[in-house]
Formats: sequence, structure tokens, C-alpha cells
Amino acid sequence: MDIALQYLINGLMLGTMYALVAVGFTLFFGVLDVIKFSHGDVLTVGAFTALATYLALQAAHVGSALIQLIVLSVVAMAAMAALGAVIARTLVLPLASAPALNTLLITLMLGTVLREGVRLLYPDGSNPKPFPPLLPTTAFTWGHLTLRLDSLILLVAGVAMIIGVHVLINRTKLGLAIRAVAQDGETARSMGINFTLVVLTTFAIGSAVAAFAGVMNGLYYNEINFSMGLLLGVFGFSAAVVGGLGNIYGAILGGFLFAGLQTVGAVALPFASAYKDVFALAVVIAIMTWRPTGLIAEKSSERV
Amino acid sequence: MAAARTARLPLLALGWAILVTLYGILFLAAESERALAALLALAAAAPALGARLGLVERIRASIGAHEGAFGLAALAGVLAAAFWFRDEHFVILMMTTALLLMTAALGLTIQFGYAGIVNFAGAAFLGIGCYTAGVVTHYTSLPSFLTLPLGGVMAALVGSILILPVLRTRGHYAALVTIAFGILFKVFLEVNDTLGGPQGMQVKPIVLFGWNFNSPIRIGDFTASFYFSYLLLALVVLALSFALVRRLERSWIGLSMDAIRLDEIASACYGLDLARWKVLAFTLGNALIGIAGAAYGHLLGFIAPNNFTFGDSLVLVSIILLGGIGNAWGVALAAAFVVILPEKFQVIQEYRFALYAALVILILLFRPQGLLPRPLRAYLGGGAARKPATASALASLETAAAQPPRDEALETAAAAPSDRVRPS
Amino acid sequence: MSRAATDRPRAIVHAACSTGETRMLRTTKPSFGFAFALAFAAALALASFPAAAKDKVKVAFIGPLTGGTAANGIGGRNSAELAVKLRNADPKAKYEYELVVLDDECKPNVAVQQATKAGADRGVIASVSHYCSVAAIAAVDTYNRLGLPMVVWGAVLPDITYRNKYPEVHRVNGTMINQNEVAAKLMTGLGFKKWVVIHDTTDYGKAHNQYFSQFIKADGGDILGTYGVTADQQDFTAELTQAKALNPEVVYFGGLTPIGIRIRSQMDKIGLNAVFEGTSGIKSDAYIQGLGPLAEGSLSFIEGAPIEKLPGGKFFQAEYDKAGYKEPPEAYGAFAFAAMTLVLDKIEEVGPDRKKVTDALGKVANYDSIIGPVTFDDHGQNTVPLISKYVVQDGKWVIWEDSEYASGKRKLKK
Repeated sequence: MDIALQYLINGLMLGTMYALVAVGFTLFFGVLDVIKFSHGDVLTVGAFTALATYLALQAAHVGSALIQLIVLSVVAMAAMAALGAVIARTLVLPLASAPALNTLLITLMLGTVLREGVRLLYPDGSNPKPFPPLLPTTAFTWGHLTLRLDSLILLVAGVAMIIGVHVLINRTKLGLAIRAVAQDGETARSMGINFTLVVLTTFAIGSAVAAFAGVMNGLYYNEINFSMGLLLGVFGFSAAVVGGLGNIYGAILGGFLFAGLQTVGAVALPFASAYKDVFALAVVIAIMTWRPTGLIAEKSSERV
Repeated sequence: MAAARTARLPLLALGWAILVTLYGILFLAAESERALAALLALAAAAPALGARLGLVERIRASIGAHEGAFGLAALAGVLAAAFWFRDEHFVILMMTTALLLMTAALGLTIQFGYAGIVNFAGAAFLGIGCYTAGVVTHYTSLPSFLTLPLGGVMAALVGSILILPVLRTRGHYAALVTIAFGILFKVFLEVNDTLGGPQGMQVKPIVLFGWNFNSPIRIGDFTASFYFSYLLLALVVLALSFALVRRLERSWIGLSMDAIRLDEIASACYGLDLARWKVLAFTLGNALIGIAGAAYGHLLGFIAPNNFTFGDSLVLVSIILLGGIGNAWGVALAAAFVVILPEKFQVIQEYRFALYAALVILILLFRPQGLLPRPLRAYLGGGAARKPATASALASLETAAAQPPRDEALETAAAAPSDRVRPS
Repeated sequence: MSRAATDRPRAIVHAACSTGETRMLRTTKPSFGFAFALAFAAALALASFPAAAKDKVKVAFIGPLTGGTAANGIGGRNSAELAVKLRNADPKAKYEYELVVLDDECKPNVAVQQATKAGADRGVIASVSHYCSVAAIAAVDTYNRLGLPMVVWGAVLPDITYRNKYPEVHRVNGTMINQNEVAAKLMTGLGFKKWVVIHDTTDYGKAHNQYFSQFIKADGGDILGTYGVTADQQDFTAELTQAKALNPEVVYFGGLTPIGIRIRSQMDKIGLNAVFEGTSGIKSDAYIQGLGPLAEGSLSFIEGAPIEKLPGGKFFQAEYDKAGYKEPPEAYGAFAFAAMTLVLDKIEEVGPDRKKVTDALGKVANYDSIIGPVTFDDHGQNTVPLISKYVVQDGKWVIWEDSEYASGKRKLKK
């Protein structure tokens, strides 16, 4: 029982991270119908920005862990929001009328540039870097279950972030504008919505969420490296698509589903746990066959 | 039309083929950074200059009118370059790799370019071909030259697992299915011990009529690299695939596929069987990739799972995107570019990946349709288009697709820009 | 940056002076800029090599410079480059050496390409090649076909030297067989009985698992569970939770530093308390930096004499620091340095001729290097009698025999 609980908590943690990445994919797809594949690498850059900020704070003798945590999160998120907007402005919007495949490839290449950039420009960036444990590490143990306070805080923070994005999209004026653009860009424009501004803001929000996920990743694993975003990006994308693109609930559902599949794959498969990704991806393909537009399907009819 | 008539003799096309061959030889021989930079600058400046002088149009027209002759000239050009470098193992290896990737990219062209099926698992199908070659030469006593067709068959067979999901999904959803398959395939290879696991396996050379492909060629005074036999093989495979793909494109099958890519619903209304043509395109494409893969496996002599990562699939996709989706000639150009350029970047060592990626971004920004965009279908010539109903349907679709609505972007992946309409 | 800046002009000198490229450049772009660069480069060349011009000899270095294992590749590259630089600065050297650096990306197909590139260039006399086993094993046939003598500087898979008997192929570092024999002996000797094995599914991890399991069973230990993980995996909590339920005393890890760090820190996260026993793959400063105090008590094993203690090792580290590289040499940098020095010595001895260098390398016995004496057996494998054992103590890799753990002052935590 206690061991099952441990799996559950591990899975929830993983799921929260996938969901945070997936939310970004789904937001971008919502407003522009594009897949921005550099998303995972934006997460990496965010985590490294946070680490650099931490080192700067250490050098400036700002000792309090809480202040450090707040400052590095804010700096990372703000920087990535700016980066996201710049990417949208320079690489995504100019290609809006080109085939979507081009956007996919161009952002994939951008991902390579970001990844290699971190590796080459960050001092000794080829090696994994330790991320400071800024949260209290008190551990509670019941039998086989070990739960640390920092994991718990991160889990709560992650869920709060997802809820926050949800509220932003569904309850605010900005969210209304984003949803309007997502539904029909042309009509939204004629209603006086600044299309470009809304698109850029959406990319900024999605990228800030990715930076948050990056910081969370660093705090949880206490280690970051230049290629951490690659697989997170692919898994986040899978989660967003399985859940149904353009739908925030889909992203959340997909994230937890994918994490669940991986955990089940590692635990329940009788042979090597290395097959867990084979298992998770095979199930994803099967789900796509069953529901071709994701579990929570896009609400649109075929236009002829 | 007028331009095409004036170019009655294929002189321009042939001249162009010779020029490109010379350039290719110079480029392959260039080793210093300055020589490379100069040659790259030349390549960037030439089209602009050519367009100003009106040469581009005339060369195009000439090639269009005499494609057969141009094809032969291109073949001769590759052979000429190959003979020039016959003793240089490395150059011959690079050329052979480029030729095989061209063949694989032609397979993707049928899928992306004609039927509009996205496939982000190209490297996986290439890997199926390689591994077929490995398993056949390792575990069976079948004659080794059979590996090529067998590689194609295996790739087609394994691909058939994906037929149902590929038929049911579209756009980004289909992209996910193939991405998932590509990653799944690589992990599967890594954990599977009979296929050599992550350590990979050896592929024995092809032996044809007692001739071991791995031995260097010596005929009298003529000596050539031990990769030379593979180069000739790859060239034959490429020429056959190229002819097949061009014939397919011009035939009513290609016409049907084009129609399906441009608008599935309208095509269905005209009575086209969507599933049939999609399955054909997907299977045929995978088979071509598998054949190229088998030859590639023999060429390398050693294969391992991390030859077939998601990144390698992207290289294949970037070949067809850079070349101009659906244009077989563009594919040939882009494959050479993608194989040889990163190699020439070796001088900048650890910085070359970042630079290469940045270069691709620039090309996509400034030439979103690729280096050689696919021209509109020529309805006359080549003995094509005997089905007037589909043809007229397609003509109307193509004009419509000239301004594609944003939200069906991926489906209309290769909407041809209409810079040169030739009415029939 | 400074290194790149000083190197580039030299590269131009070499490129411009070698063979017929000047001619070709002239035909394509006979510009003022080029002439200026040539003059500038020539001036630089005169400044740095005042002695009479020596014959130029090219040697190659091949390793992973991009991708996940780039840190090791770059460390090796710097070390090999250092060996060449020191030789070029030596007035007694008969030739002037130019280093050709190639990136194998840790991929077999690219390794074959790069081996072909080095081998096809007749000017390249020998090569110091490969950190990744998968790259090395793929390329050995190519070196043999092209007759290019090579020395492996980092890959540890036994098959690289032992699958074939190629005269061209040599290796200065030991294989993983020796390493695991010692690893098993030490721990069973300390009274540990129950292991869980985690290995990455690359050739490196899998082979480590195979040899370690074999030796531990022979020594009477028990392996409770074995987990294969992929090399780019981030989250190991599912595997570790399973392992925790088995109550192991030791977690043996066959893999490289990046996931070693992740596994060790996640062990702590879910409360799996066991000794962490690694392989040569985690013997790096990055491992300790990445973990901080958590690294305490981790073990690793590496072939060769303890480099830090040898006079050559100190010399290497001092020269490396002096050269101002911004990346550390990593665990196998010393091997790359030793391999390159060995190759250069042999070229000095028999002249720049591949066949002669191959023969000379085949006869190497008791050659004194910074990694201890090198003797190649009939497969070209360095018969390293010595394996060094390391344990992390107070944020440093300490040789086991010198540590407080061995003296009994501290105990490995179960």
C-alpha cells in the first residue's frame, strides 16, 4: 500500500511537469495553429537562467533562501516570456502563411540552436549542473513511503500554476481575447482585438510557464543539464496531442496520462523497465487510432 | 510556354548540368575555410544574379522541356565527379551517403509531397532497411544482394502497422503518431538483444557474382576506392527510384494523390478512394526508404540504434523541406547540401551543430518554399493525364490552394506557388 | 576564447601552406583581403616558429564534440591538443605536427565517416580516436581497411581490441573487465552481500552489468534486481521505488556521470539508503559538483595507476592548467594525452610512415607514460595490471587506500 502511494506521488510529480509543458503547446496551437517545438529547450534556457540568477545572488550575498527563490523564479519567467515573444515575432509569425510543417522544422532547428547555445555559452555547459535545494528538505517516512517537504511544495506550486493559467484563460479579459483569437483570428481582429499583441502575449505566457517548469525541474531533481528539455519537449507534446490540442484540460489530462503510462510501464511490465517508453508510446499510438483528434476532441466541424 | 518553345535544344539544361557538376567537384575538394566561404557565397549570389538576367527562367524551361536529357546529364555529372575522386575514400563515402539519402528522401516525397502524409519516422524506416541487411547477412545464408528488396519489403510491412493510425489522424496528430513510432523504434532496438542491442551489429558486404563490394576496384591502370562499388549501386538505385517517382508524379496515380493532398473532402466527392491512395503512397514511400536503408547498412558495415534517432528523421524531413516539398530535383539538391555541408563544417568543431541549425532557420525564413519549389503540374507531355475529370478537379484545387487558408496549413503542406502557370 | 583566437591564424597558416589550396583559392577569389591574410598569417608563423622549417606531419584526434558526451570529448580534445603543442614547442622534435580534430558525435555511422576522412587523407599518419565504445567498435574495420594506425583513448568495450586482431588498433586504457573484477572484490571483501544493479542501456552500461554480475556472483554476492534505463532519462523514481522495496545494501550503477548524478540524488529523494558504487563513468569532477555533499561515500573504479600520484600526472595537470583551457580534462583526458604523446614518440622514432608507425606501436612494451607503463598485447590492448579505486571524501575523489573509509575511521553507510 505504502509503496503504491510512493508510485502515485512520483507519477503525480511527473504528470505535473508534463502538464506544464503541454499547456504551452496547447496555448500556441490554440492561437496560431502551430506547433512550436523549441518549447522544451526554452524550458532548459529558463532553468539555466534561474541558476545563473542564483549564482549572481550568491555573489551579491543575498542569503535568504526564500528571497533567492522568488527572485530567480521571477527573473527566469520574465526572461523566458521575453524570449517566447521574440521567437513568436521573428520566427513564428513571419511563417504564419507558410505550411505549418515549416514552423515545425524552424522551431526544431531553433531548439537545436538554444540547446547547443546553452552548452557552448554557459561556463562548462556540457556537464550537468547542480541546482541549489532552496526548499526545506524535511522528510516524512511511513514504511516504504518517503515524502519530502520540498516535493510536496513543488507539487502544490505546480498544480497552483496550472490552475492560475486556467483562470487567466477563462476568467480575465486577456483570456477572453486569447480565446477569441483562438476561435477565429480574422473575426477577432475585426472586433478590435490587437491580433499580434495577443499572439505575442500568449507565447510569452506559455514560455513563462515553461520557465516555471524548468525551475521546478531543477528544484526537484537538484540537477539540470543542457539536453533536459529535449525529451520533456517530446513528452509534453505527446501529452498535449493525446489530450487534444487547443484544449487546456486536454493538456492536463494528457500530462498525467503520459506520466501514469510511464510509471505503470516501469512498475508493471515483467521485463526490463527500459521498455517503459516503448509501452507508453505504443499506448499513445493506440489512443490516437481510437480518437484521432485526442481524448478531448477539438470542437469543430469539417469545413468543406 | 514561349520560353519552353525557344529552348528547343537542351543546350541550356546540359550547360547547367555541367556547371553544377563542376561546382560540386570544387565544393567537395574545398578544404580551407576561405575556399568554402567563397563557394557558398557564389551559390548564394548565383540565383539572384541568374534571376536578374532571366537565366533562371530559361534554364528551368529548358530543363522542363528536356527532362530526360537533363536526367542523363545529371547522371553523367555524378559519374564524372565520382571518377574524379575515385581514390578518395572519404569523398566517395560522402557522395554515396548523399545518393542513398536522396533515395530515402524520394520515398518521403511520395508521402509528404504527393499524398500529403506526414512521416516523422523516416530514420526508423531507414533503420528497418539497415537492420534487415544486418539480420539477413548475419543469421541467414540468403544471397546478400537480396537484402535490398527485402529491406524494402520489411519497411513496407512494418509500416503497415501504422497504416490504421495514419489513415485516421491528420496534421499534427499524424505527426505525433510517427514521432512516437520513431522514438519507440529506437528504444526497441536498444533493449533488444537479438538485434545487437545498443552495441549494434555488423553488416556483411554485398557479394554479387563473386564480387565483394568491399574490395577496392582495380582494372588495369584504373583503381578506385573500396566504396566505389557502393557508389555505383547507390546511383543505380537512385536513378531507378527517381524515374519511378517522376513517372508516378505524372501518372493519374500522382494526380489522384495530389488531389487528395490538396483537399480530401473534395477528392472524395469526385470519387477518389482516399484510403487506397494513402496506403499506396505510405507503403511505397516506406519501401523506397527501406531499400536505401539496406544499401546504407552495407555501406557502413556497422549499424547501431543511435543512427536512427528522432534527430535523424528530422534530417530527412529537412531535406524535403529545404528542397521544396514534392520536387524530386529539389530533393536531390537538398540531400547533397544536408550531407556535405555539416561535414565541411568540421573545422569549427563543437560549434558546427549550432551553426548548421542557424543556417537552416535562415533558409526557411527567406525561402519558405524551399530551394527549388515544385512547379505547377504540366498537364501536357510525358504521356500523362488521361483522366480529364480528375485533372480539371485538380486544376481548380490548385488555383484555390494558391492562397491557402491558415488553419489547414499542414494538410496543404506543399501548395505550389503559381509563379509559372502553363495552361493546357 | 583565447585559445580559439590564437589557434585560428595557425590553422590558416597550415591550411594555406599545405598542398594546392593556395592555387585553388587564387582561381576563385584573388582578393586583396586574401593576400593580406596570407601575409598576416605568414608573419604570425614566423613569429611562432623562428627555427628552420620542419616537415609537417598531420595527426588526427576523433571524439564526441557535440551532444550528450561532449564534455568528455572536449576534455580529450584539449589534452591531445596539449600533447601536440608541447611537442611543437620542443626544439628537439624532428617534425612539426598539425592536429586534425574530427567529431564522431558518439554515433557509429559518423564514426565510420570520420575514420574514413582521417584515413583517406594520406597526410594523416596516425589517429587518437574515440571515447564512445559504440563509435569505436563501428570504426575499427575502417582503420584496418585504410591502414591508419590508431590508439583508442577512452572507449572501454573489450570487443574493440579483442573481436579482431587488427595491427592498426591499439588502446591505452583498460577494458571494463578488469575494472569490474576489482569492483566486485572490494565490496564483497567489505562484507556487503545484497546489490541492486542499475545500468544504462548503451553498450557501456550493458557490458558493465554483464561483467559485474558475473564477478559478484563468483564472489558470493547477491543481485536482487537489475534495471536498464535509457541514457537520456530524467526521472528514475519508478525504478528506484522498486529497488527500495528490495532493501539492497549497495546500488551498483553502470553508466556515465549525467544520469549517475540524477540517480544518486533521486535515491535520496525517495529515501533509498544504500552505498552508491559507480564505474569509471562517474569518475569526474562534474559528479561531485553536481551532487554536493550527497556525493560523499560514492565509489568508482578506473583503469591505470592513480594518475594524481604519478609524477607524469602532476606534470599533465600543471601543463593543462597553464594552457588555460576553460573545460576540465575529465577522467580520460590523461589517456588522450598519453595516447597522443605515444603516437608522436613513435612518429619521431620511425618517421611519418603509417606502416612503420603501426609496426612500432605493435612493439610497445613498458613504455613510460603519464598513466604508468604501457605494454600492448598481440591485440594492441594495453595490459594494465592496475585498477585504481576511488571514494568521494569531503568533496574529492580520494584513492581508496588513502581514505578514511579504508582505515576504518569512516564507514560506508548502508
